[in-house]
Amino acid sequence: MAQEAHGAIYDLLAVRGVSRRDFLKYCSYVAAMLGLSEAAAPAIAAAVEKGSKLKPALWLNGGSCTGCTESMAQVDSPDVATIVLELLSLNYFETVMAAAGEHAEKNIQDTIAAGGYLLIYEGSVMTGEDGNTLLVNGHKGTDILKEAAESADAIIAVGACAVDGGWVAAHPNPAGATGVQAFLDVEGVKTPVVNIPCCPMNPEWVVAMVVQWLLVAEDDPATFLAKTELLGKSYDDRLTGRNVTLLYPKYVVGSTIHDNCPRRGHFENGDFVTEFGSAEEAMGYCLYKVGCKGPQTFTQCPITRWNRSVSWCVQSGAPCIGCGAISWVDNNTPFFKRLSSMQMGDGLGYVQPGSVAAVVGGVAAAALVAHGLGMKAAGRIGPDGPPTETVKKHDRKRQAKGGDK
Amino acid sequence: MAGHAHYREAHPLVFVITHWINLICMIMLAFSGFYIHYPFFGGFMGVARGMHFVAMYVIIINLTFRIIAAFFVKTATDLGSHQVDTDIKNWLPQEKNKHQFFETVKYYIFLRKEAVISAKYGSLQKIAYLATIPLTYLMAYTGFAIYGPTMTWGLFSGGVEMVGGPMNMRIIHYFMMWVFIVFTMIHAYLANIYNFKPSKIIFAWKESE
Repeated sequence: MAQEAHGAIYDLLAVRGVSRRDFLKYCSYVAAMLGLSEAAAPAIAAAVEKGSKLKPALWLNGGSCTGCTESMAQVDSPDVATIVLELLSLNYFETVMAAAGEHAEKNIQDTIAAGGYLLIYEGSVMTGEDGNTLLVNGHKGTDILKEAAESADAIIAVGACAVDGGWVAAHPNPAGATGVQAFLDVEGVKTPVVNIPCCPMNPEWVVAMVVQWLLVAEDDPATFLAKTELLGKSYDDRLTGRNVTLLYPKYVVGSTIHDNCPRRGHFENGDFVTEFGSAEEAMGYCLYKVGCKGPQTFTQCPITRWNRSVSWCVQSGAPCIGCGAISWVDNNTPFFKRLSSMQMGDGLGYVQPGSVAAVVGGVAAAALVAHGLGMKAAGRIGPDGPPTETVKKHDRKRQAKGGDK
Repeated sequence: MAGHAHYREAHPLVFVITHWINLICMIMLAFSGFYIHYPFFGGFMGVARGMHFVAMYVIIINLTFRIIAAFFVKTATDLGSHQVDTDIKNWLPQEKNKHQFFETVKYYIFLRKEAVISAKYGSLQKIAYLATIPLTYLMAYTGFAIYGPTMTWGLFSGGVEMVGGPMNMRIIHYFMMWVFIVFTMIHAYLANIYNFKPSKIIFAWKESE
């Protein structure tokens, strides 16, 4: 029987209290996320079952809050995602590894020397003070990333910080933070980078990428790039001054939160929450008026959801703050206002577009009233109006000079 | 400038109609736009969005028609004149507008007494009317760039990327509406500052001496 043949993985599942049924359900869920048909579920299960052949991986932390690690480890009981991730032999994972000190750092060097590994990078790349803003065991974070990136098969940049610097890179960005792709572009490292957005990133999206790597791409970087539906998005990196193209899995950033939002019906009906903690919020009304950035944020949050698909920000009554966007903090603050505020200049504070518009409109109206009074005072308004010149001033001047010869 | 007569040749019926369509669409667009920007009462979002899209398509078609019609319809060449010529000639800057830009500005900021010689439209007026063409198309462009079904099209996503994201595009769209509001304020003011004869002809098609 299949179950006996694949004993190892099912034993592992059984130990974790996961039934075979749960396992296959999860595999079809991953298949759906990857845009494959349900028929691919057994193939995914097979890929997962090849668990004996571990893929070496490094999980490096840059300038991060470890929130993405938390997101990865959020579950209170081990679940299928955890087991899938055990397909990776994480030789270095700062927050959860048992090794410490020199011994742990040696693991990085050994893995880099052996090659053929996946690099998962969490957090921003802190380049400030010539890279001294982030030191690990006396080495610059930027040096560690560059070295690890050069020999990696591929890099998964997890979380908004790894994508483009995230909130660490928000104005005024004293740490000189930027994203993995922007940094590698400057360093000339060509290793493919797949970006997983949000703050923190959604663990299911990472799991899907790992499965994609092992199953569809058969552990080959070129096949991976050819067969994975990726979407390129360019942006101007403010730190490096370069135009950077980020590769995202299409299933993650293909549509807006607004388009898949469970509260969307209330938006169309015009049922809005105006106050937090109100009855409207509990009734699931739309959070548009309290600053929801769902209409301009391209992530899969409403479908994948969070914490093992239990809920997500908007479902729990909080407006989307747009953490899946580029430069998300600068572009989306204040979080609870419809439009973001504009910076008037260094140290001059911020202003809402609506206030600027009201001033412009008010000044224009006042100017017109003043102008009208002026026209009246100048005696231009009457049955005959002002006298009109009979010859253009330009022509008068020319004639005075002697005219055309 | 002020005492002249207003004849139907200045604004043929077809342009009286396009002007009405522009006005109605602009009011609908600004109202629904403000509502979409911030829904100040409940239960209207679906209608407001529908109104916004319909009015936008109508105004774009109307503008395009107005431009094409300018090549075929004849309008008065001068203020208070029955003499007509192809409209586009009267719309674009003419010999009579030459050297008059700064003089017109000086007149309006009270630096000269006499009103300036102009064709049917003065130089400032022509610049303003011509500027509304690219502005209206650009307004539609920025709108499509923040509209779900089209924002991912290469044509629009390229622009979104250029301005630094959909939020910035939204703010540009919002400010551009204020450009139209201020234009309309100045337009209505200058058209009617001397008397309401211009309004009579453009809205009711009623001539006055």
